[in-house]
Amino acid sequence: MLETGVRQVRVAMAMVFGRRMSPRLVERLVDDALATLHEFGSPGDDVEQLVDGPFSDPDERRDLQTRALRRTARRLAGRSAFYRERFAAAGVDPAALTLESLRSIPVTVKDDLVTRAADMMCAAPYISTQTTGTTGTPTRVWLSRYELELWPALIALAMLLRGEVRPGDCMQINVSSRATAAVQEDLEMLRLSNASARVVGQVPPDESIDHLLDRAGGIPTLLGAYPSYLGQLVTAARRRGLGPDDFELRALFVGGEVLSPHLAEAARDTFGVRQIHDTYGVTELLPAGGRSCEGGHLHLDLNMGYAEVERLDADEPAEVGELGTLVVTPFYPYRECMPVLRYDTRDVVRVLPDELDCELAGVPAVSKILGKESRLLRTRDGIVTQRDVVEALDGLPGVEWPVRHQARVSGDGRLHLTVAARGPSPSDVVKAFADRDLDVTAEIVELDEDEARLFHPLRCDLREETFTAAPAPKETV
Amino acid sequence: MSTGQQIYFTGVTLAFALAVPAGAVLYFRRVRVPRPPVGTFNGRDIVVMMGFVLALPFVYLALPGGVLPVVLALVFSGGLTVGYQPIVGRTPLRWALILALLGVDLAGHQLLGSDSPVYWSANSAIVGLIVVSATNLNIQGGMRLRHIAWFVLALAVYDLTFATAIPLTQELVEAIQGYPFAPSAGLRIGDHSAVIGMGDLLAYSLYTTGAYKAYGRSGLRLAIVLLAVFGAILPTVAPPVLDALTGHRPDLIPAQVLFGPAAFAGYLALRRRGPERRMVELPALPALA
Repeated sequence: MLETGVRQVRVAMAMVFGRRMSPRLVERLVDDALATLHEFGSPGDDVEQLVDGPFSDPDERRDLQTRALRRTARRLAGRSAFYRERFAAAGVDPAALTLESLRSIPVTVKDDLVTRAADMMCAAPYISTQTTGTTGTPTRVWLSRYELELWPALIALAMLLRGEVRPGDCMQINVSSRATAAVQEDLEMLRLSNASARVVGQVPPDESIDHLLDRAGGIPTLLGAYPSYLGQLVTAARRRGLGPDDFELRALFVGGEVLSPHLAEAARDTFGVRQIHDTYGVTELLPAGGRSCEGGHLHLDLNMGYAEVERLDADEPAEVGELGTLVVTPFYPYRECMPVLRYDTRDVVRVLPDELDCELAGVPAVSKILGKESRLLRTRDGIVTQRDVVEALDGLPGVEWPVRHQARVSGDGRLHLTVAARGPSPSDVVKAFADRDLDVTAEIVELDEDEARLFHPLRCDLREETFTAAPAPKETV
Repeated sequence: MSTGQQIYFTGVTLAFALAVPAGAVLYFRRVRVPRPPVGTFNGRDIVVMMGFVLALPFVYLALPGGVLPVVLALVFSGGLTVGYQPIVGRTPLRWALILALLGVDLAGHQLLGSDSPVYWSANSAIVGLIVVSATNLNIQGGMRLRHIAWFVLALAVYDLTFATAIPLTQELVEAIQGYPFAPSAGLRIGDHSAVIGMGDLLAYSLYTTGAYKAYGRSGLRLAIVLLAVFGAILPTVAPPVLDALTGHRPDLIPAQVLFGPAAFAGYLALRRRGPERRMVELPALPALA
């Protein structure tokens, strides 16, 4: 117990003073957390403060974040030619940076990472990971050995203390194997948590269902997948007549796309899961990220990064209730190899008031991700987001998830939907949007699988085929 | 020592040796203390505890006479406020009770003398309460009977060494005499006297509560028998028995020398029943305050 206290103080000091922290030290804290769970079944009092930080006091939050930004900026100025230029052009002294003067530095965009990667390298690279390219040119991000050791330990500690992963769990990983950092991070996190993994990838959904049903080895209790692939799993399981009694799943971890309440509910009903963790993580910003609460907000991790929301039409902060794009600066010492400052994710969110009534109220939040800025639909009724469309379509009667569609704004400013589906009629689509006060026109098209993939590509289309055919679906009673 | 004094000595020692652990077990059954988000007691904590046990007497002896009671009063008040926060949740009330208790201790000592029953009653109450809370902070912090068994065995070696080879124990007893807030419990009435050290009480309470936590009522029964026989009766009757047998009456029989090995053997016997219960296996208790 005394040792644990000393370790916690050492980690806290490294966080406050921005010193590089030993991954071994955090790993030993993970062991302490495991011992605590073994003895007591749950963490002790005030665990939220340990995991989420003392951020309920705005002044304290501001002070900690200013110091974290300064040390991050100082390091960038010293090691990154790209950011040295940025600071010089903006006339900003990194050592005196404030939350206000930060705004005078232009945002970093994806194109900067593609064209100036060499000028952004701040530590010895160890492994490169590439974004999936679902929204444009794939971005290659280099990570250091330190990052790959530190992040899983920090994530394992947080997840164990929040009860999101437990010793003995088995996670079936159904994300694309190209998401190197995410897969590697998950595997290491599970190892540290005394849990196991089934790295399945995005194989045909029926094969994944077979893995979920397999009782040899670790039985999956957790599942990590993109929402579109989850939709395919739900559809496949229902087609085979499977239900909650057939699975041992306890929780789902999804991210990277919009998860609608309808699909979430269907997944709960089909797999019998109690919790669905709708997380936010971007390769360029890891380990800074966010998680959703029961209130439907996205709470960003203030320990590891500073988040701003920029107005869609101007380089200034969005006000409460407005839409804006999420701009994030991950802090040193969590990000060291290819760190970014004010990275504009182009992910659209709505700014929420400071006072929220949810289980994570102490951590500031924005709305869940509403979609990419480039995919906003500016109709005569106002801006329609990807989330608006997905949530409306996922609730259509008789649809199979994921619902493929194309949306465009007609000449008269109305939204026009072309939906690839077999069950619903155009009037069902119009009604679903009318229920959301959106006036749309709609048509239904019937497409085969290959046509549907071309019609509306989703992350579930990053398929991983095997040489041998998938085994025939198991007979179920 | 007359037969009456001997009976008084053994009886009062036995009473304290049973009452304080009983209080600790009762507290354990009724109250849950707050605990840190992460951390549970482990073997290395025992090493640290033994380090404190080794170092504290030297610190006590190094302190100027008048400072020791001040340090002890601060330690006692800190221990009481931490340990009884779950029972008396209102901080002002808790501190008022603590200060009243310390006040009676100090006043009894200064006004009625260091042999006064009032002083010894108040001091025993403070020490007993401290031991009960310290026991529960450790046991509810995850300390296991295995840890305690090794701890009391190490204490036995320590006590034997410092009572025979290096006469530190006797020096310490003499050093704290005449000051209030003695780290011991007991009662003096006239020429009848019985005093038991706080460290001994802590060892008994830890063992008893640890045995109850680990093996339930059967563990508790064995612990009570062991501490009554090896912690209270044998250490107090041994001097006259040795006197009668050898003609030499030892000044001091350190209780842990007898209790430590017996307690360790008791742990080995209990261990055959299976793994120790963990805190998570005990029924949850509602918060009291």
